[in-house]
This record gives sequence, C-alpha cells and structure tokens, in this order.
Amino acid sequence: MHEWESLKGPFNASYGKVMMWYFLISDTFVFAAFLVAYAAARTSNAETWPLASEVFNTVPGLSGHGYPLVFVSFMTFVLIISSVTMVRAVQEGFMMNRVGVMKYLIPTIAMGLVFLGCQYLEWTHLIHEGMTMWHTPFSAIEGTEGPQQFGMFFFTITGFHGMHVITGVILNIWLLLETAKGRFDKLGSYAMVEKIGLFWHFVDLVWVYVFLGYYLL
Amino acid sequence: MAEMTQQEYEQNKKDVYKTTGILAVVTVVEVLGSIVYENMVEDLRWPLMVFVTLASVIKAYWIMAIFMHVGHEKKGFILTILFPFVFLVWAIIAFSADGAAWLEMRNALNGILF
Repeated sequence: MHEWESLKGPFNASYGKVMMWYFLISDTFVFAAFLVAYAAARTSNAETWPLASEVFNTVPGLSGHGYPLVFVSFMTFVLIISSVTMVRAVQEGFMMNRVGVMKYLIPTIAMGLVFLGCQYLEWTHLIHEGMTMWHTPFSAIEGTEGPQQFGMFFFTITGFHGMHVITGVILNIWLLLETAKGRFDKLGSYAMVEKIGLFWHFVDLVWVYVFLGYYLL
Repeated sequence: MAEMTQQEYEQNKKDVYKTTGILAVVTVVEVLGSIVYENMVEDLRWPLMVFVTLASVIKAYWIMAIFMHVGHEKKGFILTILFPFVFLVWAIIAFSADGAAWLEMRNALNGILF
C-alpha cells in the first residue's frame, strides 16, 4: 500500500482514491439497474401507478394526510447537510487539523443516524398502511389494487440505499475513532477522510435520483 | 491535492457554502414543482417532468464538482469517471420504451382474451 501511495501516476491521485472512485462507478451501475428496472415497471403500469404525493403525505407526530412530500424533503435536507459537514471534515483533514476533522465528523454521523431513524419511521408507517414487497394498497384508479411492483421496488431501492447509509455511518464512526487516536497524524496524511468522504457524498448523490424517481416524478 | 494553502482553504470553504445554498434552493423548487405537477391535468405534466429531471442533474453536478471535488482532478481522471455514464442514457431510453411496449402488449392481450 505504501509503495502505491508514493506513485501518483498520470491521474496525480493516490491508488486508494482512484479505486474508491471506480468502486463508486460500479455501485452507480447497481443503483442504475434498479432505477431503470423501476422505470420500465412503472411505464408498464402507467394507469394504476400511485401518485407520490398521495402515498407519501404524512408526517410522524402529526395527524392527517395533508403533508405531501414534507417528511421526505426533511430527510433530503438531513442528507445534504450531512454531506456539507463531511466535506468540511475533508477540508480540515487537508489542513492536518485533527480537532477540526472530529468536530465535523460527529454531526455527519449524527445526521446519518437521523436519516436512518426517519427511514425506519417511514417504512413502519407504510407497512402499517398495508404496503409490502408483494402488495400495494395505493392506486391511481380509485377502488383498485395498486401495482405490486410499487411496494417491491420501494423497499428494494430505499432499502439498498439505507444499507449504504448504514455502511457510511459505520465507516465514519471508525474514522472518528482512528482520528481521535491520532492515527492519521502519525501517518502524516488524512487521505482516508477524503476516501470515506467520497463514499458518503455518493450516498447523497444516489439519494438525489432515488428522490427524483420515487418521490418527485 | 495533498496540501492546501490557507488561501485555497478559504476559497474551498466558500465554494462549499455556495453549493449548499444552491442544493437547498433547487430541492425546495423541485418539491414545489412536483406537488404542482401531480395536481395538473395529464397533458400538462411533461414540462414539469423535464424540469425536475434537469434540476436533479444540476444537483448531481454540484455535488460531484464541489463536494467530491471532481473539478480539481486531472482531466483524464474526470473522463474515466464520467464516460461510463454515457451507457446509462441509452439504458434509460431503451427500458422506458420497453415498459411502454409491455403495457401496450398487455392491453392488446386483454382485448383479445377478455
């Protein structure tokens, strides 16, 4: 690993960073496969596909169904802000500022956990409404069953994204502990913060498209 | 980008907060656009569909350029990252068309059988 780190190559980037990018590209294709299959399933069920503003219209703690997309917009903002604190941690890393990195990693982890908590609330709510992998109680045509793919793709895609958030939170906790121990000061480089930062931003980037496909369109 | 001067650091910090503002504004506009769009008559939907899709591409651009600082990488590296996405453009067109064809086929079969 150390031999590679000293070889910058034509991209003037470390081996680890280039490989993190190529991993993210391959992961993009996994998400893209899900979203493209979702698009095909949706167009083939165009008549009954439920409207997002009629499915995702509740907020935990508030009664009634009059809040279209409010809760998921809050979740989106949580992810955006966690991306901001992450990039600030990366920048503090470039300045070799150990305390600065920790100061920005802690809110990043906290917001990752808030996002997961919100997803838990959303899932339990939808399951209580009767939505499962094989059954969709919502439909664009009054009084009919919704397409089963709606529930199936919803739990698969948001679940796969949530799994990435869990992975990112675990990586960030590890990063925080190692930073606190002073490992990167000893190594003389905070490049690991940058690499894990790339993964975390990728999670945010994917959410932009999950949000577009499932909630906005 | 192993070392950063104080000046670069301040500039990058400013870029991050500017990007945060752009992402927040675009998201709010998108959500409002989407709620309006879903309450519109069928025929008027597509302009708003194009609009929220473009807005998401803008968000992705800013996240990649500033948060993932792709803008600071070497040109060859940027190209190896961006080029594979060209394939997705075709995948989206082809599979959406396929979905529409399945719908047509199912409706045609229902017409014959039932």
